[in-house]
Amino acid sequence: MATRKPIKKRSVPATATKKKAPPAASAAKRKAAPKVAEVSPEESPGADEAAAEDDSAGDEAAATAKSTGRRATAQSMASKQRDISVSEFFAKNRHLLGFDNPRKALLTTIKEAVDNSLDACEEAGILPEIWVHIEQTSTDRYKIGVQDNGPGIVKKQIPLIFGKLLYGSKFHRLRQSRGQQGIGISAAGMYGVQTTGKPVKIISRISPKKPAHYYEIQIDTKRNEPKILNGAGEGVDIAYGEKGAKDIEKHGIEWVDQPHGTRVTIELEAKYIRGRGSVDEYLHQTAIANPHITLHYTDPEGNVREYQRAADKLPPEPKEILPHPYGVELGRLAAMLAEAEGMSITQFLSTKFSRVSPAVAKKICTTAKVSPRAMTRKLGRPEAEALYHAIQATKIAPPATDCICPIGEELLLKGLYQVVPGEFYAAATRPPSVYRGNPFQIEVALAYGGAAATQNVDKDLLEDLIEETDARTIRQFLVSTFNGLGTDAADRIMKAASLGTRQAPKQLKPKERQRLLDAMQNVNVAEGQTMEVMRYANRVPLQFQQAACAITQTITSTNWRSYGLSQSRGGMPKGPVYIMVHIASVWVPFTSESKEAIASYPEIQKEIRLGLQAVGRKLGMYVRKRMRVKQQGDRRDIFMRYLKEVASAVSEVNGVDRDGLYNQLLTVAKRVTADADMKLDDRGRKIKEPSEETDFGENVLIVDPKTHAAAIKRGPAAVAVAEGE
Amino acid sequence: MAKKKLTTVAKAPKVKLSPRDAKTAERLTGLADRVVSAANNRKDPYVEIPSRTLANVHYSPRKKIIEMGNATNRRQLFDLSQAKAYMRTMLVTSGCKKLIDQGKSTSLRGLFYMLKHTIEGVKENTFDEQGECDTIIEDVEVLLSSIREELHLYAENRGAMVGAITFTDKGDEINCAKMGSGGYAIPSIVEPEVVVFDKAKCKAKFILHVEKGTVWQRFNEDRFWEKHNCILTHGSGQPPRGVRRMLHRLHNELELPLYCVLDNDPWGYYIYSVIKQGSINLAFESQRMAIPEAKYLGLRSIDFERCQLSDSVKISLNDTDRKRAKQVAQYPWFEKKPKWQTEIKKMLSNDFKLEVESLISKDISYVTEEYVPTRLREQDWLD
Ligand SMILES: Nc1ncnc2c1ncn2[C@@H]1O[C@H](COP(=O)(O)OP(=O)(O)OP(=O)(O)O)[C@@H](O)[C@H]1O
Ligand SMILES: [Mg+2]
Repeated sequence: MATRKPIKKRSVPATATKKKAPPAASAAKRKAAPKVAEVSPEESPGADEAAAEDDSAGDEAAATAKSTGRRATAQSMASKQRDISVSEFFAKNRHLLGFDNPRKALLTTIKEAVDNSLDACEEAGILPEIWVHIEQTSTDRYKIGVQDNGPGIVKKQIPLIFGKLLYGSKFHRLRQSRGQQGIGISAAGMYGVQTTGKPVKIISRISPKKPAHYYEIQIDTKRNEPKILNGAGEGVDIAYGEKGAKDIEKHGIEWVDQPHGTRVTIELEAKYIRGRGSVDEYLHQTAIANPHITLHYTDPEGNVREYQRAADKLPPEPKEILPHPYGVELGRLAAMLAEAEGMSITQFLSTKFSRVSPAVAKKICTTAKVSPRAMTRKLGRPEAEALYHAIQATKIAPPATDCICPIGEELLLKGLYQVVPGEFYAAATRPPSVYRGNPFQIEVALAYGGAAATQNVDKDLLEDLIEETDARTIRQFLVSTFNGLGTDAADRIMKAASLGTRQAPKQLKPKERQRLLDAMQNVNVAEGQTMEVMRYANRVPLQFQQAACAITQTITSTNWRSYGLSQSRGGMPKGPVYIMVHIASVWVPFTSESKEAIASYPEIQKEIRLGLQAVGRKLGMYVRKRMRVKQQGDRRDIFMRYLKEVASAVSEVNGVDRDGLYNQLLTVAKRVTADADMKLDDRGRKIKEPSEETDFGENVLIVDPKTHAAAIKRGPAAVAVAEGE
Repeated sequence: MAKKKLTTVAKAPKVKLSPRDAKTAERLTGLADRVVSAANNRKDPYVEIPSRTLANVHYSPRKKIIEMGNATNRRQLFDLSQAKAYMRTMLVTSGCKKLIDQGKSTSLRGLFYMLKHTIEGVKENTFDEQGECDTIIEDVEVLLSSIREELHLYAENRGAMVGAITFTDKGDEINCAKMGSGGYAIPSIVEPEVVVFDKAKCKAKFILHVEKGTVWQRFNEDRFWEKHNCILTHGSGQPPRGVRRMLHRLHNELELPLYCVLDNDPWGYYIYSVIKQGSINLAFESQRMAIPEAKYLGLRSIDFERCQLSDSVKISLNDTDRKRAKQVAQYPWFEKKPKWQTEIKKMLSNDFKLEVESLISKDISYVTEEYVPTRLREQDWLD
């Protein structure tokens, strides 16, 4: 079956492409690169996102320039001209695959492994359970282990999957999935081998009846082929029971005993940093968008973070579809024509594309002035071009959109509720739409008002939390205990409590604890907070190039002031708001090969905007209502304050019963400020009880932030998120 | 404090009330009763307070005084911005009722302390400053059309008088000709229940009112009132109500013309205006305080030249003075008086003001022996 990928693969065989490169552009770029680039953009430790976004493919060029030295003859040059293997190319251009600096390398490695695990589980119809373990082995080295409860991989496939670039099952199809290229995990393994010399270690088990199998693999970059290091090239089986456990330990790896599943262990040069663009963030956001997964994460400091699944059902299986003619570029059309053998042009059009009936195919041919019965092989470039233009000019039904599997409003709410603290949640899944012949669907979910968890802590709870935490500093304690609390807010709390940054929570004296508690209650942590945006493409979080992304651009160009948030023109809205935007598509249009930002197609932006507006309107209603209820509450407080005085004064003047009058006035006060007692639903109607269950059916969730389990992480830096709430 | 108040129950009046007090007490009780009936009907209690703003006063050219209009402001208990003021209104009501019941009166300061306490359960006081209490008192006055004296409240004594008159104050005979150097301190309540005149015991032919105590002392030391057979008063700047009421009664009941000697500055003009027409704030009391026939004797803008004063006595006008002078010029009762317009214009063009004391630069007794006698003789004044 012909899709855009195989063509791409063939059109630039030697150099291949960086992931998802628009073929022509990236190929051209890469060819030009060796002549101009001089410096290696990689390897600068601590280089951040900016470096990551730098796209100058350069070090190969640098190496070439250095080695040549003097002017060469055509002959001497010819002696050096030879094939470049894919792995060799990527080994030198690792930034193309997201290994541009040690920090990003760690993230990319985890990400490739976890994405694969999720894809595999889902494809096999298994509810995913994932274990992620990051261990520091030396100053700049980390060992990562990612295990799943997926179908496992058959013995003979393992070396190819982990030791050969461009080997995979997802490359040859048009279907919504996380991975696409068949490069991901082997590239991670290759990076590990290159930077530490340690092989990739894989354990996989495909059935409870068979033992798990263990491989140690190195990629042979010259030949793009796996080299198996253990069991004389065959790998080894892991024995059952005690002995097996010992073996595993001996190999310096781990294995959570499962009837089936895969664990990959890679040691690599890396750097672990929390915060934006971190592994923590990636896993956190993955848990939000994938409420059907359970995730156990042990970070380099030994903190265990558990994300329990909020949904017990797998998302429906995405359907594979044929490409729609509108989405096919000229180059690809030409390639498809060349590839399709022994077919008439009508046959070609009506079998290789969706929504093209023979009648439509004929119409296209007529417009293109190409004989409908002409064989595809015989068509040259001019005909292909004529066909391309004819397709654009012909009215073709939009593609079927049932191939898209959105997360769904209910699960979006559940996912967000479980990991993001808040008091108000809303979600909107837009109906599927089409851009350039590609079906896609936009989903937006929002959590509001969750930043104030620190204010809901009383003395006893604070004592407990301090007792349970293993954080070394107060700042660390605050940030890791209170979800959504940034270091900024933590610093403000510490300043208000006049506590030092280096103080250990357990060493706090009673007086200092009291000051900390007071500060937690008094500091408005939501102040100065801007909206947190979480972007997703096919359930995978996008962590870089925020500014270049259509999602961000649409958010900032939406007027959030009318939804009760403050916002400077064209800026991010302010307030304790989390927003997640998900684009699901068989073909996600990224702005660049780095797969980090969504391109601004007007159709996509329009859908994003409609989704934002849908949740925004509900937020606006909630914020306004809350404000009113709060004002009414304040009002009542003020009235209450004076009622006793008035009653006493009146009673002194005319001798009326003071308490009787006071009670009567109280009744009036309650009537006048009735709103303060009212609970309202998203449309501002009165409801009896703000039960979260009843609202789950709809796309809004209102919770009491005081009782929100996700707001406070208990235990030694562990999140004990109550299940199924 | 709050506790104590809350447990007191209205007691039967201890003293026999005068008819006037009985009437005031009845009005106060009426206010309280309306709260009860509103609460009974689950309604929001409120009071309608006649508005004491410039917009609600007008000048009656016929009566030649400032009068209060009919506009009122509703003050509700269940209105965020008014709740506290409403509570305070009720506190003042109960405070005044208590004073009447006990047959006592107190100063504004005294009432403030009577009513000031911390509200139960919050860190908030009923009143924090005297001024807050004073405005509520004025509100209650207009609300009940009861004057302050009827509410058993008095202000600090400010102002004094001497002269050829004898009257009784709370039964004691006061001979103003024998008041030494300090004079008789004009009390804040000079109503007929307190101060009783006897026409036969008044030898004075007119009243000379001066702005300040220092000037008044000059006149008293020089026995001006004896030589000119008059009553000499001062009001420590803007005269308090007691002084104004005293002047009003002397003027109306004993038919004594009133002449004022004030500084030649916008403030002096304003004091004259208040004595003559009444003030905006107390417009409801103009009837019993304003003296439209009062005359302005000096100082005048022309006095610098007329009295040949030296440059050293000039005090230059500041921006507020200039602004104020222009405002005064626009008062309806000055607006149509060419002499006043000339007077104010002249001061503005002088660009300096003159205090009465500046006449001392001529001679210590120039003002008592020369300036005022000449003006009176020549009937040279502004009206
Ligand atoms: N944990 C796993 N369990 C089962 N199969 C796996 C697992 N990991 C990888 N695979 C198989 O190995 C193939 C290659 O994986 P790889 O990550 O290299 O490429 P990919 O996921 O297809 O695309 P991409 O390069 O975009 O990640 C996958 O297509 C999948 O079939
Ligand atoms: Mg992959």
